[in-house]
Amino acid sequence: MTDNNSRPLIQMIKVDKFFGSFQALRNIDLEVQKGERIVICGPSGSGKSTLIRCINRLEKHNGGEIIIDGIELTDKVEDIDAVRREVGMVFQNFNLFPHMTIVKNLMIAQQLVRKTNKDEARKLAMRYLERVKIPEQADKYPIQLSGGQQQRVAIARALCMEPEIILFDEPTSALDPEMINEVLDVMVDLAKEGMTMICVTHEMGFARSVADRIIFMDEGEIVEQARPTEFFDNPKSERTRAFLDQILSH
Amino acid sequence: MSFDLNLILDSLPKMLAGFGVTLQLLVVSGVLGLILAILLLLMRLSGKFYLDWVAQVYIYIFRGTPILVQIFIIYYGLPQFEAIRDSVFWSILREPTGCAILALTLNTGAYVSEILRGGVLGVDKGLLEAGSALGMSARQKFIYITTPLATRLALPAYSNDVISLLKSTALASTITITDMTGIARTIVADTYAPYEVFISLAIVYMIFTFGIQKLFGVFERYLGRYARREE
Amino acid sequence: MEVLTGWWDDYLWGAVIVAKVFAASLLLMILFGLIGAAAKLSDSRVAQKIANGYTVIFRGTPEILVILLLYFGSAIVLTAIAKVFDPDVRFVDVPPFWAGTIAIALIVGSYATETFRGAFLGVKPGSIEAARALGMSNLQTFIYIRIPEMWRIALPPFGNHMLSLVKDTALISIIGLNETLFVAKQAITVTGKPFTMYILVGIIYLGFSTIITLSVMGIERFGNRTTVGAR
Repeated sequence: MTDNNSRPLIQMIKVDKFFGSFQALRNIDLEVQKGERIVICGPSGSGKSTLIRCINRLEKHNGGEIIIDGIELTDKVEDIDAVRREVGMVFQNFNLFPHMTIVKNLMIAQQLVRKTNKDEARKLAMRYLERVKIPEQADKYPIQLSGGQQQRVAIARALCMEPEIILFDEPTSALDPEMINEVLDVMVDLAKEGMTMICVTHEMGFARSVADRIIFMDEGEIVEQARPTEFFDNPKSERTRAFLDQILSH
Repeated sequence: MSFDLNLILDSLPKMLAGFGVTLQLLVVSGVLGLILAILLLLMRLSGKFYLDWVAQVYIYIFRGTPILVQIFIIYYGLPQFEAIRDSVFWSILREPTGCAILALTLNTGAYVSEILRGGVLGVDKGLLEAGSALGMSARQKFIYITTPLATRLALPAYSNDVISLLKSTALASTITITDMTGIARTIVADTYAPYEVFISLAIVYMIFTFGIQKLFGVFERYLGRYARREE
Repeated sequence: MEVLTGWWDDYLWGAVIVAKVFAASLLLMILFGLIGAAAKLSDSRVAQKIANGYTVIFRGTPEILVILLLYFGSAIVLTAIAKVFDPDVRFVDVPPFWAGTIAIALIVGSYATETFRGAFLGVKPGSIEAARALGMSNLQTFIYIRIPEMWRIALPPFGNHMLSLVKDTALISIIGLNETLFVAKQAITVTGKPFTMYILVGIIYLGFSTIITLSVMGIERFGNRTTVGAR
């Protein structure tokens, strides 16, 4: 076995993805090391969400290879399940199970997928609920919580599976402005603790302060990637410059 | 045109004697029909084209033809075949009640399976993606996510179908079954007073319908308790 | 199959009757449905109550019962009225065609009431507000904004109402209308082949259902040509 610490956690090699005749991802080459915090930005339709959804096989890539922690993503169900155990995801629309209480939302996957018993699952669930600072909501239903609270629960739910990597798909885009910060704070804490994360977002303040690397995508390609200071102060590509002008001018 | 109140008071108890038969037809066909509907639903969701196709054809035929015709085919039509008369099912198919229950079951099964399918399709795809992302298997997602949510979505349409089933039981009277309608028709034939008898019968059915709606209302409120924002 | 010779004509005429009943009851059903919806949406408490009564009565009573009530009941009413004018009149008959057609139009019309009401309320309030803000009159808003959106919403359930009308026609055979099921009963007494005859009835009705379903699908596709395919 090669030295696990130097092998990238995520490797995408010449990945293509088509929706019918439309090419959503072109020749994507990407490596993510353990502990890296990546932000992906770009205009709508650039393929950002598609890229991270390919990592946990919510979308199936058509060309190239995707290797997560040494496991190659193919049609084999055991491999897909193994990858999904290591990769957590937080969705733009939270996707909390409406018919389960908050704590049950956090317990159900532990019980079904990791076969944890009920008491252990509950303990872990309450621990992560406290991490995201809303333990008192445990027995409520999602509809009774605000958007910001629901998204924090969604983050806790992903954390309960103790993943190696967490993917964030525009986690604050569906939130009212006053609730964005409570979610970003949780994400900043996670980043500080060394969680490997890939975050698709428009929140440039977050990107600047937390990211190790910012990736700009346009029309299915990775146009540019750099450390935040370099990315914002010295963008190399014309397209990147145009995007930054648009997004930072208000 | 006189309105004979005595006649109504006289015939009501007789018609209500048929209530038990009506209820039996409703409950037995309803339960068997629901089981059939779930079977058809699983066939349609199986992903195997031959199961899906068979279920679709079945549903198409039973929703596209009048239930009265279906009843007649089973009760009057099947005895035409010696194979049926010699078979082990003959003891059921010879009796009008057995035939009526069979016809009602086959019919309601087709309708209810489409209602259930509507419920399944109505479940937010994002929730299933969350389940996948958490590593749940297809079977686990279907049991813990799809089924509870689809049931709640399908309930209003299902309650309508139960009421339709109730109304269809009245057709059993055309093959000599003495349900409420069957008894009413004999009374009318004897007394030549269709107004009083049929109107009181209609009122009985309406009360029955009301009762079913109330029952489902309770059900819906119980299942939907997570959807209300009680602060 | 030779058993059917000589009966093709009768079946054909039976099918024509089904088509005639469908056409007549369709128009009446739309009429009753629109009036009912208008009453429910109006500000008049009286109109609302009457419309509610209408839907409760005709959704809670078995179809066969409504047909029998209308057929026998209207004969009684008309006879009584006729006696006022001409004491020698013994009995005024109501043709089964009209008793049956009006009956099923009333029944399905009560469901159509809800469909039309739902379609009216389903038009996005935002569209109406925008029209008002642009200065369009009430009538213009109704014609150019409300109606196009309404019929798009109402079309799928309306298609189901049309299917109900066709299938309920078989029930009118009970009061003597010589549509296909009635023809089948006669054919059976002569040929002694109930299964064959009733299956043929089923096929004919399935044919009607298919035509209606395909037509509705075609109209839906036409109606949605501007809204499908947006990315």
